[in-house]
Amino acid sequence: MGKINLTALRVRQTALNQFAAGKIKKLPQWVEVVGDIPPAEALIRNRTPQHQLVRQRLQTSPDSSKPQVVFEVQEKRRKSKKPSRLFKPVELRYEEDQLRTDFFRDHPWELARPRVVLESSGKDFEFHDWSRIQQPGRKLDGESVVQRQLWLLNNVPDMTKSNAYDIARREFYKLRLKEDIQRRVAAEEAQATGATFGPSYLEIGMELESEQHEKWKTWARLEAQVLDQRVVAMSGAPEIAMESEAERPADIAQETEESA
Amino acid sequence: MIVRRFGVRQSRQLLALNRRSPISSRFLSTETQIPVDTAQKEAPVSSPNPLHEVVQATQNPRSLAQKQFKKQEQQRSKFNKLGSAVTDSHDPEGLLKNPPRPSDITLELLLASGTHLGHSTSRWNPQNSRYIYGIREGVHIISLDVTAAYLRRAAKVVEEVAARGGIILFAGTRKGQKRSIVRAAELAGAYHIFERWIPGSLTNGQQILGHCATKVVNALDEELPEFKADLADRPSVKPDLVICLNPLENVVLLHECGLHNVPTIGIIDTDADPTRVTYPIPANDDSLRGTNLIAGILGRAGEAGQKRRIEMAREGKTLYKPVTASELRLDPFTGVLPGAEQTKGPKRD
Repeated sequence: MGKINLTALRVRQTALNQFAAGKIKKLPQWVEVVGDIPPAEALIRNRTPQHQLVRQRLQTSPDSSKPQVVFEVQEKRRKSKKPSRLFKPVELRYEEDQLRTDFFRDHPWELARPRVVLESSGKDFEFHDWSRIQQPGRKLDGESVVQRQLWLLNNVPDMTKSNAYDIARREFYKLRLKEDIQRRVAAEEAQATGATFGPSYLEIGMELESEQHEKWKTWARLEAQVLDQRVVAMSGAPEIAMESEAERPADIAQETEESA
Repeated sequence: MIVRRFGVRQSRQLLALNRRSPISSRFLSTETQIPVDTAQKEAPVSSPNPLHEVVQATQNPRSLAQKQFKKQEQQRSKFNKLGSAVTDSHDPEGLLKNPPRPSDITLELLLASGTHLGHSTSRWNPQNSRYIYGIREGVHIISLDVTAAYLRRAAKVVEEVAARGGIILFAGTRKGQKRSIVRAAELAGAYHIFERWIPGSLTNGQQILGHCATKVVNALDEELPEFKADLADRPSVKPDLVICLNPLENVVLLHECGLHNVPTIGIIDTDADPTRVTYPIPANDDSLRGTNLIAGILGRAGEAGQKRRIEMAREGKTLYKPVTASELRLDPFTGVLPGAEQTKGPKRD
């Protein structure tokens, strides 16, 4: 037996040989099927798909009135690949990768927003038209800016990367502000039509704090009584105790601190 | 945590609003509440001690809550008919309840199911290089058109084997694959394994599966009880096709299939060995949605094959050579009738 086990790929030949040799009395049902639909060839290395970074731009020239579509292909590397790397898969690269990196470097908190990555049919892109930044059925997020910027770069004559970034970003900021206002109005409307939002975090915190304050009050009252009694016991008469208390409030305060 | 803080940064005015926020467990104290009323009832202690001066709470929370509740009820009755009904846009059970047919395979569906995601590039098996489209973020991406082509081919095989009355076995022993395996087997009129494959179930079938019930059926799948006695000394039944959703964990199963010359279909991820199975389906075997989809499609293919077989049987035709009653009565090991064994015995020697 060699290194590679081809038993699974040769089931039909094996069955036919076994039948011819008389090891099995009847050919299995599947022999016909496997003959009609042969297994794919395995272990044959093809050249893996080669990917290049292609950029599409619209350029105006003084010669023609209409802008020209220009495709820029990234230059191939001068040094040829090692023969051993010939069959290795190649990195997939797209133009929007750089745009995405730039956007999320400038807006890192955009990554913290929850987003939906689930698709039912995989055909959501058919409903998207990036000539506008807002898409039906899609939440506005960082990816919207990237796609809008890419559309601007591909479809607007003589558009530069920074210019497209500024346009897309401005639209994005405007819509985000609008969303804030919408949320506030929605909350107000909901309250007006009977919704009650429970206590906020601040109120819950205040409640917990006042609870602890109440605890402290009962404790402090007890401590004060104990102190009073101690002073009375020392002096022997309540009047004297009260006098001494009035004279030396600082000392008592010190004492209570120690007892606490 | 981060998201909430960001929301606060974004909308400072919203902070002023009195809104419900999810109450985290650290605010839910199990301690008994200290009654606020007791402090109110007590007369303020007139003492020169400054510690006795305590602030008195003046609110009555009970009546406040009552008032709020009353207001809420009034408004609810007033605005009850407003608003909209929200429906779900995604059905996570859809793939199990109603799996797609082989004709429904599209690249978009495969992409949405995540079948294109392979493993980290360092874990690849170079024998899979022809199924790989490229590298993205250090992960191999499986070519979706190759997946679709191989999946269609595998579905065709399942359909044809089912149409010839072959025994099909679905095996998926990973966590969470149980329901899809059972559903696919149910559709295809097949058998299933969702727990461990007991090593030797094929090579030592008499010991492991000897006690299992077997039956003889006619072309319309109706049981023929008169042959029950002839099944006593039969070897255990071998499958005609094995479909394995996780070949990495089921090496033993695939090895036994090789020893017994049984064709196999398997989902081959970028780290699996494609020569282990007869018909590989290059796809992601770690995504449950992906394996559910593939199992469902193969189940539907089997369903179509079974339907075809029964329809042909009603017309009195079969795609396979039927076993006659006298053949069934033959001894499985010597190939002769049980009564004639003594006369033919010496010849064999």
